[in-house]
Amino acid sequence: MPTYAYILVSLALFFVGTAGVLLRRNALIVLMSVELQLAAGTLALLAFSRALGDQKGHVFAFFVMALAAAEAAVGLAIVVSVFRTRRTANLDDVNALKG
Amino acid sequence: MTVDVASIAALAPLLLISGAGCLALLLDTLTKGREPALRLAQLGCLAALAAVVGQWTGAESGQPIWSGMWVVDRMALFLDALLIATALVTLSVAAPFMREHDFENGESYALVLFATSGMMTVVHATHLLSLLIGIETMSLAAYLLVASWRRQPAGPEGALKYLLLGAFAAGFLVYGTALVYGTTGGEMSYAGIAARAGQAAGNPLFIIGVYFLLTGMLFKIAAVPFHMWAPDAYEAAPTPVTGLMAAGIKVAAVGALVRLLAAVLADPGLALGHAGWVRVLGGVSFLTMTWGNLAALRQENVKRMLAYSSIAHAGYLMIGLVALGQKVDGAQPALLVYLAAYAFTTLGVFAVVAWVGRRDDERVLVRDWAGLARTRPAVALAMTVLLLSLAGVPPTGGFFGKFYVFRAAMQSPDLAWLVVAAVLNSLVSVYYYLRIVVAMYFRDPVQPWQPFRSAGMAVVLVAIVVVVLALGLVPGPAIDLAAGGLGALR
Repeated sequence: MPTYAYILVSLALFFVGTAGVLLRRNALIVLMSVELQLAAGTLALLAFSRALGDQKGHVFAFFVMALAAAEAAVGLAIVVSVFRTRRTANLDDVNALKG
Repeated sequence: MTVDVASIAALAPLLLISGAGCLALLLDTLTKGREPALRLAQLGCLAALAAVVGQWTGAESGQPIWSGMWVVDRMALFLDALLIATALVTLSVAAPFMREHDFENGESYALVLFATSGMMTVVHATHLLSLLIGIETMSLAAYLLVASWRRQPAGPEGALKYLLLGAFAAGFLVYGTALVYGTTGGEMSYAGIAARAGQAAGNPLFIIGVYFLLTGMLFKIAAVPFHMWAPDAYEAAPTPVTGLMAAGIKVAAVGALVRLLAAVLADPGLALGHAGWVRVLGGVSFLTMTWGNLAALRQENVKRMLAYSSIAHAGYLMIGLVALGQKVDGAQPALLVYLAAYAFTTLGVFAVVAWVGRRDDERVLVRDWAGLARTRPAVALAMTVLLLSLAGVPPTGGFFGKFYVFRAAMQSPDLAWLVVAAVLNSLVSVYYYLRIVVAMYFRDPVQPWQPFRSAGMAVVLVAIVVVVLALGLVPGPAIDLAAGGLGALR
């Protein structure tokens, strides 16, 4: 497959992720959408890295994976603590603050 | 690349801060009480500050080290010192605050240091990878610090909003990096991108990538329209952490933007699309300060008011960034002096807010502050000085910071309208700052109360007021320090 095909797929993934963050109201789904954005970035990095014959993109992809894992760990911990106090993970019901 | 003693020694301040964080975490599990972890964390800050001072003489022209990941130059050291001071103040204010509100934990002290090590990485970074690592270290620690006040129901909620939007911004940073990497032919270091940017500018993917990177950074300084998280996160966070976020994270992100905009995208041939980033950021700056000030006008909650005020200050700071993009002489030292004055003033203001609250009675509404001048005249006086500094009234540091940035921006005819808008905005801001002063001095207390007594708080507050006044009365030394320059990337 040519490089631009990978880039098109990654762009599509990124916009699905962005739309998910902006449109979905469940905190877990929003976190998953952010993961999609990061996956899109990783895919684009790897495709470029392959096409350019350069290793930096691969290395960066590893860091992005570590970052995604750390963000998920912290994110889920915070969602759990919100759930404990409010009994919901829906962002529309989480409204003690004015937003 | 070769790893030698010199390149490890160049990381000394960072290693001291993050090492002290790890040790504080360990010590906290081994000892009874939270005091040892706190003292160790403060000691780490002092040691790192000494290391920064020690590096100052050798850092006239910083060369990128660690394969172009890292630079030690005067700007980075200036901001390092500022960030370490921020951490020290945060630790010293957080300890009595957490004791008063009964949620003291050693992890918070370690997290403050981890967040600081991330901020320091951000201002030293000359590579998109080190930038991302720094941004995320700082942000992940900040999310947890916001959530740490578990008894406050808003705490985890504010942290959740902060986390979701912060992670969203990280997505933009990563994707922007990927696009810039691909379109510059495999460059990730700032120097490499700067060399290839001219060729790549014709590629729409490169332009999108650059704007994605800028979007990710603008989230961190809470510029409109990427500011939605800030008031909620600032209100929900434990007040000393709010100070850390408003001062430290903004300083770090502006430092990174200075490098990105002045070094990477400074190529005059780089119009970056039809409008150019100078005009785009100018518009964002105008929106940010105007929106921040108008929203602050109708806040009854002091913490929220100060959150919007810090959004407005992000707008003023961006004038300096745009002036830097226009190659205005003296824009960079002006920006650094502004950052120093803003950081100390903000820390002081939030220290006072942390001080007046009692357990189960946080006292964050403007009317709660009525009559404070009668019960605690010294605290009220300190708050007045700090609020005048935020408003930019002489002879405070806030006035000179604004003055230098605006004066630098006036040299560019394209920016005159922004400066006029900023001055008008500053006038508007005086109104809501003075509301607090009026409440403290001219209103009768609804019910009598006393801020808790704390010698540590008093020392910190006196030190901050002295620094803020010194920046205003004798600004010369700070300007000389700030004029140290960008080093090799200039």
